[in-house]
Amino acid sequence: MEKPVRERIVDSYFWKDQCFAVNEADIIDRVVEHVKFVGGTYGDSQKPSPFLCLAFKLLQLGPTDDVLQEYLEYGGEKFKYLRALAVFYVRLTRKATDVYLFLEPFLEDKRKLVMRTRTGKRLTFMDEFVDSLLTKERMCSTTLWKMPSRAQLEDEEKLDPRISPLGDIENLLDSEPEEIDGGDG
Amino acid sequence: MQHLRAIGQTGEVKRATAEEVRARIDRVWERLQEEKKGDVKTLGERLEVRRE
Amino acid sequence: KNWDDEEEDEDEVDDTDDLDPEAEYAAWKLRELKRIKRDREAIEAHEKELEEIERRKNLTEEERK
Repeated sequence: MEKPVRERIVDSYFWKDQCFAVNEADIIDRVVEHVKFVGGTYGDSQKPSPFLCLAFKLLQLGPTDDVLQEYLEYGGEKFKYLRALAVFYVRLTRKATDVYLFLEPFLEDKRKLVMRTRTGKRLTFMDEFVDSLLTKERMCSTTLWKMPSRAQLEDEEKLDPRISPLGDIENLLDSEPEEIDGGDG
Repeated sequence: MQHLRAIGQTGEVKRATAEEVRARIDRVWERLQEEKKGDVKTLGERLEVRRE
Repeated sequence: KNWDDEEEDEDEVDDTDDLDPEAEYAAWKLRELKRIKRDREAIEAHEKELEEIERRKNLTEEERK
């Protein structure tokens, strides 16, 4: 997270009011109560979102892998924005192979998320959010550190190929995705 | 204390274990379910009143 | 509450899940397929690049001109 963004966070009312004396368990209350969308800073004043403030809080707390698993799995099933926060945090702090291993299971999570960008709110999905974290350079007003691609790590034999939950995709790919489209894409 | 608060210093916060985190998840979840049940109940009651 | 003082109802986006599970699953499946396709194309492009490098290496000086 860049310095100007961090400064905006610690200057924000949400930070001062909701992120003081908060531990790894208290974070859950804050997320459930206040995180209604993912995003970075927004508006003319570049106000930091509660999501971003709590991500910064996690950076300060430095939760262990055990705690992260609770956020991702058990808590993440119940509270989707808790999972979203945890995947974002993992992307910022863990090494590449762990990022892929921690995050990829949630490419199966099709739940809806609201994303707030400079231009407004739009609908996204957990799987799309996770995919963006794995492939993009910048998310939620934060520069993501440059990770080696999955293919690279497979070549180095640090990762096994990912198996899609769709199973054998050879057949599926023969038909164009457009033809399979049953939703609004 | 006020200035610590202003710069968002964490202060003396006891760290939570994974077990405590899970317990909190359950507690928050149950609280939400109770709240929802409360809503449904009042709706149910209203319907019952109407039926009478 | 000061931090959600926004014009909240201006552009509300509904993130309620399971309103239409079938359509939501189909939409997810499409996204997943697109990702698989994209990753696969990236690998193919990379392999082609390597082949091209290899091919150039094998050309004689004469052919290269």
